[in-house]
Amino acid sequence: MIIDTRNLKKTYITYERGTTFGATIKSLFVRKPIEIEALKGIYLSIEKGEIIGLIGPNGAGKSTTLKILSGILHPTSGEADVMGFTPWKQRKKYVANIGAVFGQKSQLIWDIPPMDSFQMNKAIYNIPEEAFTTRLNALVEMLDLSRLIHKPTRQLSLGERMKCEFVMAMLHDPPIVFLDEPTIGLDVIAKEVIRKFIKEMNAKGTTFILTTHDLDDIELLANRVVVINHGSIVFDDSLTNLMGKLGHKKIVKVILSQAYAGTTLKSGLEYEKNSELELEFTLDTSQMSLKAFMDHIAGELEIKDISIESEDIETVIKELYLI
Amino acid sequence: MSRNTGYLKLYGVGLKVGMANIMAYRGDFFINFFIMLMAELFAPIITFLIYRSGAAFPGWTLEEVMMIQGVFLLSKGIGYVFFFGLVDNTLFMVREGTFDLLLIKPRPVLFMSLVSGINVGDLGSIFSGLGVFILAATYLSGTTLMQWLLFLALFVMSLTVMLAFSIIMGSTVIKWVGNGRVYEIFEAISSFGLYPKSIYGKAFANIISFIIPLSIIGFIPAAVLLGRPVTGIWISVIVSILFLILSTRIWKMMMKYYTSAGG
Ligand SMILES: Nc1ncnc2c1ncn2[C@@H]1O[C@H](COP(=O)(O)OP(=O)(O)OP(=O)(O)O)[C@@H](O)[C@H]1O
Ligand SMILES: [Mg+2]
Repeated sequence: MIIDTRNLKKTYITYERGTTFGATIKSLFVRKPIEIEALKGIYLSIEKGEIIGLIGPNGAGKSTTLKILSGILHPTSGEADVMGFTPWKQRKKYVANIGAVFGQKSQLIWDIPPMDSFQMNKAIYNIPEEAFTTRLNALVEMLDLSRLIHKPTRQLSLGERMKCEFVMAMLHDPPIVFLDEPTIGLDVIAKEVIRKFIKEMNAKGTTFILTTHDLDDIELLANRVVVINHGSIVFDDSLTNLMGKLGHKKIVKVILSQAYAGTTLKSGLEYEKNSELELEFTLDTSQMSLKAFMDHIAGELEIKDISIESEDIETVIKELYLI
Repeated sequence: MSRNTGYLKLYGVGLKVGMANIMAYRGDFFINFFIMLMAELFAPIITFLIYRSGAAFPGWTLEEVMMIQGVFLLSKGIGYVFFFGLVDNTLFMVREGTFDLLLIKPRPVLFMSLVSGINVGDLGSIFSGLGVFILAATYLSGTTLMQWLLFLALFVMSLTVMLAFSIIMGSTVIKWVGNGRVYEIFEAISSFGLYPKSIYGKAFANIISFIIPLSIIGFIPAAVLLGRPVTGIWISVIVSILFLILSTRIWKMMMKYYTSAGG
């Protein structure tokens, strides 16, 4: 096991600031603390070589989890063991062994070319010349960056910059890389390049933990999905199992050859009339099997055509978010 | 490679990056250079005008006061280029949320913030300090090698105090991000070091020598070079070192606050 956390909790304390002038003055003297329980006990075990997709609605606690695991934040309570380190206790030694990309924050120095930022990281991590060159060349080739690393960072597009952020995060060859929304704001092609890169690095042994709001990232990358909501893990398994567990709804569209008068169908069957001759059922297969349903409607309706679709991932995940 | 050469090398790379950064806006560099050059000459010019009008700091010639101010401004100039960027940089990064990124580097955050804050753009202030210092130095006579060596050692202490001030200011902006005014407070406090200590009352003179080490920034090293008697040099030196230690303690405290509050 490369990461193991037990009962990680994080409570932020903020102070209420008044909106009116009087209240603002008052808040200068008496401040009312507000506690925000961002994490309510996270248990997470991750094996070497996994790609974990951490998803959840806004404010669920994803970034907080990553910040604790990358040694930036101290948890309020709980334990974590990452490669034998407690991130927040042995920060300096620990962070030499991890990489991180925060989609919303740049590690590159704005006014100078990425190459200079890479040189800076070489000095920060004490990377030997030879290893640096080999590694840089490999990364630059994988991400097709050779033309870009000598241009000032501020002239790069978001996608180009993000690729450079990955180089920054991986020059020192960390066994674990944390990614907080690494595909945010990228176009389809840039996303594809980044995903391919993550897959290739993973095949070479790097463990990735990534948060995202793009479910394609999950579908295409993650061997395991961890859904976090209101500071707790509400699901932790493969995507297939997530679909199997929650995706028991089918959308059945029936085209009729004769209008349905509407009394003989079993009560409890949900449907909408798209038109006189088209009915759309939402079937909950945990309540009624597909076979029973088909048998039933075949007896009641004059069916001309029929289509059956599973609920898509988005709908399934929405159900989890709304808990 | 030993740990220490690693730090030296990193500082070197940081300096190079700082230069590259400045050169990205060459035009701004020259404008800024002259602004800093002129701004720092304000106090010496006022002093010059005071003396020309016939007034004086009792017991001190114009050349001697210029020496104090030259040393002070040189120290502050070096502070501006090498230390004070820490304050702006920390403030900027905490506000932007990128301060987090310093914490994922395997180096002390203070060192990282200092390195990424190197501000070659303020080079002008070193030149104005150096100018006044050299000018005043031409009036020195009979200064011994011993005096110069002691001066150098005390000037290092002066820089130590500058560093400590920048660390304290940098610490405060970690928590009070809205606090863009720390500089002005510093400017106001430190300017007591611009003039001969004897113009202040005894109690106040003691405060700026032995409690908040301001005399050591300009007055004490200059007085040694001028061959003027100074009392309690060693106490001031110790106080300066304690001041640096105190500043790093404050930094640690604020970092602790940051890592538990989360920016
Ligand atoms: N520094 C902070 N101070 C106070 N509250 C905070 C702080 N950082 C986060 N929070 C709160 O903690 C909760 C979890 O935030 P977090 O950033 O971990 O969510 P997230 O899952 O990353 O959300 P998103 O998808 O929007 O990025 C939120 O309610 C947020 O408002
Ligand atoms: Mg987030």
